[in-house]
Amino acid sequence: MRHISFRWLAASSAAVVAAGLAGWAGAATRPRYGGTLRVEVRNPGDSADPPRIGFGMADLTGSFAIAQWDAGRQAVYEASETAVGGRPYLDRVEVELGRPLREQSIDLELGKADVVELGPNELRRPAAGRRVWPSAPVRVVALVFDPRVEDARVREALSLAVDRGAIHRVLLQQQGEISGALLPQWLTGYAFLFAATADIARARALVSGMPAAARSLTLAADDAALRPVAERIALSARDAGLAVTVGSGAADVRLAEIRIVSTDPARALGVVAAALGANPPARAASPEALYAAEKAMLEGFRVVPLFHLPEVYGVSPKVKGGPGVSPLGEWRFEGLWLEGGRP
Amino acid sequence: MTFRTRLLVLFTLAVVAAVGLVEALVLSSTRQAFEGVETQRVDGLVAQFQKEFDRRKQEIVRAVNGIARSDALRSIATSGDYAPYYDAAQDLAAAHGLKLLELAAGDGTLISSAEWPARFGYREEWLTHAEDWPTLGAFLKREDLPDGMALTLVAVSAAGVADRVLYVAGGQELDREFLSTLALPPGMRVLLYRNLEPQFSASALVGDSRIGDAEMVRPLVLRVLADRRATTRILGRGADAETFHALPLPGYEDTLLGVLLIAGSRRELVELEASQRSTGIWVAAGGILMGMALAWWATARVTRPVRQLAASAGRVAAGDWGATVEVASADEIGMLAGAFNRMTHELVEQRQRLVQAERVAAWRELARRLAHELKNPLFPLQITVENMQRAREKYPEQFEEVFREGTATLLAELSNLKQIIGRFSDFAKMPAPEMQPVDFNRLVTETLRLFEAQLEQAHIALNLDLARELRPVPADAEQMTRALRNLILNAIDAMPNGGTLTMRTSALDGRIRLEVSDTGQGLTPEECERLFTPYYTTKTHGTGLGLAIVQSVVSDHGGHISVESEPGKGARFRIDLGG
Repeated sequence: MRHISFRWLAASSAAVVAAGLAGWAGAATRPRYGGTLRVEVRNPGDSADPPRIGFGMADLTGSFAIAQWDAGRQAVYEASETAVGGRPYLDRVEVELGRPLREQSIDLELGKADVVELGPNELRRPAAGRRVWPSAPVRVVALVFDPRVEDARVREALSLAVDRGAIHRVLLQQQGEISGALLPQWLTGYAFLFAATADIARARALVSGMPAAARSLTLAADDAALRPVAERIALSARDAGLAVTVGSGAADVRLAEIRIVSTDPARALGVVAAALGANPPARAASPEALYAAEKAMLEGFRVVPLFHLPEVYGVSPKVKGGPGVSPLGEWRFEGLWLEGGRP
Repeated sequence: MTFRTRLLVLFTLAVVAAVGLVEALVLSSTRQAFEGVETQRVDGLVAQFQKEFDRRKQEIVRAVNGIARSDALRSIATSGDYAPYYDAAQDLAAAHGLKLLELAAGDGTLISSAEWPARFGYREEWLTHAEDWPTLGAFLKREDLPDGMALTLVAVSAAGVADRVLYVAGGQELDREFLSTLALPPGMRVLLYRNLEPQFSASALVGDSRIGDAEMVRPLVLRVLADRRATTRILGRGADAETFHALPLPGYEDTLLGVLLIAGSRRELVELEASQRSTGIWVAAGGILMGMALAWWATARVTRPVRQLAASAGRVAAGDWGATVEVASADEIGMLAGAFNRMTHELVEQRQRLVQAERVAAWRELARRLAHELKNPLFPLQITVENMQRAREKYPEQFEEVFREGTATLLAELSNLKQIIGRFSDFAKMPAPEMQPVDFNRLVTETLRLFEAQLEQAHIALNLDLARELRPVPADAEQMTRALRNLILNAIDAMPNGGTLTMRTSALDGRIRLEVSDTGQGLTPEECERLFTPYYTTKTHGTGLGLAIVQSVVSDHGGHISVESEPGKGARFRIDLGG
């Protein structure tokens, strides 16, 4: 009973903070136990076992315990009575896996889901009573070249061809920020030093005179939500004289998305480097050293950072407490409860 | 080939030619009539298709105008930021049944593109060039799509909201899918050649195409692209042939962007023509067979008197001079038969007259010969008797001597007369040959032996050329000896100054040939012709019966005698026996 009171106090405090952040006036509702929080994610979750590390479902571990894992379809987490900090208000969290963003948004509007991911398209569509939990820009969207693309001129030409401004303004609905750096500006403070402007004329000059086969690339997007971005990049590349075909599977270039996992820039860069398959940089003791390490990673245009995007969740008005997402995009569902509760 | 066969062939050819000509004329006129009907049908179908095409154009114009007047477009126009609407065109296009839709700001900057969403922000300056979009209606345009260049049918509408203008350009891609939605009459198909590349490309041909269509329509497409006007051609063969109407499709800027090929099947026409031709062929075949039967009957009827005439002529040739034909009609054939009958009648009469004349001539010749032969010995008889009378009257002392000489002369002349009469008697009494195998080599050798002295005296060399294996031939050896003797004597007489006598025997296909040649003065053709005539001679002495006897003997043996001679080159008598 003690730990419940502690949890209640903590939740109340968090609710007050959230109200200040999100401008939500209903946080004064008294928390109550019970109910199932229905969450939808686009992550296919097709691994044999539930995730133990990373973001999202892995964040539930501790406060919740996995009760059911139906790979590719559903994961069910039960509240842990022995959770550190006390039992969560919610009895369980049901996570629908592999749901497209559009369908998630519809499910939220229809009341079939309580927490969903929001893509740029869904974000710009008005929805009555919907709350939004954004994280800081923690997703690095970058072009990652396959080692078989050996000609640096082609790689540089594609990096110069990308019209980041148009993509950010229209496709990303100005979410996140344009960047030429791997680590976001809010984390390092020097991201603006990396060039992120398009130069079609220079790109065209780089590949002019090259045979058509050498100017042909295939581009794949890790996430289906990034496919429009890939299409636009292909179109811009065409203006530069490159023939980029958007496809799936093994490709010459990948439009990858890498998570920033730490607020420690050096550690974050190390994780990003590992995710890109590059050698981890030496531990940088100063911002200058970190900048140099990151610059070294980007030399040769094997990786071309494009944007830093936040995790954005749409939340049903019935979900109280929160925000349920940390600045790094971690799920913090142990402090949430549902209005009216559920059996 | 008989006259009747020739006539039958000619009649048949005439019938076939006549029936063929009529058949060709009928088929030609029928075909022209069918072609006319087919042309009208296909023209109707083409007009129907063009109406359908125009209807689809109007649909596009209506859809584009509907979008331009829609609340959605008004919302976009009044919005300060177009970015949130970059995918608005896809929903609008789907709602209005358009495959292509672009929404552009007043300066031509793309707000949203249904066919290529990534193209937001690009400029479509051509939209700002024309101001009379409503009058243009739907038009063809070359459009750059993600999959490559495409031919599109689009309409443009400029929507003015407050002080802003938005352009709505929407339409359909002219591809296989679009063509398949067009309502086509049965038996018709539509192909579209999209003139998007500098050279003819088979991949640019879309629609209900079949294997080999590209190569088939290539010349037609190139022709239309060159002439820029509609052309009609029949392509394909047989029942698969089609009438292609090729219509040039000019684009928005008057460039020729495509060629619409409307193909109408000619299967019905071809099958109808084939049926007509088949029927015609059967009718013609029947007509020809009937014509041949009639020709058979007619030629039999026409040639019967001719054949009778020919048979009668054959009988006349075989010696039946009295052969006649039946005169069954009064036409030319009847006249010919009558003339033939008159001719044979005349021939019989003339032959009788000739035989009679020859008989008289023979008697005259006989009388002349007799007179001549008898006159020669009679004249010395008369002189001798007159000398003896004169000696007895005037010179009695010499009468004894004159009488002795006179009687000797009389006896000699009487002997001569007797000999002459004997020859005539021999000719008259030529007996029938008694046939027995005769070795002619031996006969020739023995006969020549009788003349050895005479030949030597006349300085005539003998050249004997006898066949080595000469089979015996049935003959009367005595008569043949007499014949040989006559020929040898004749040769000796022909060479008064000497020469060479050649005797040759040879075997020829079961017969034997006996040749007697001299190197004398030879004979003229006229002499050769009359040589075997009794009492004819070229010599100053002789009865003229020698060669007649030879011919008589050879003839009695069933053989044949002939002579070859030229003046100055001697003569060769040839006797063929046996077989």
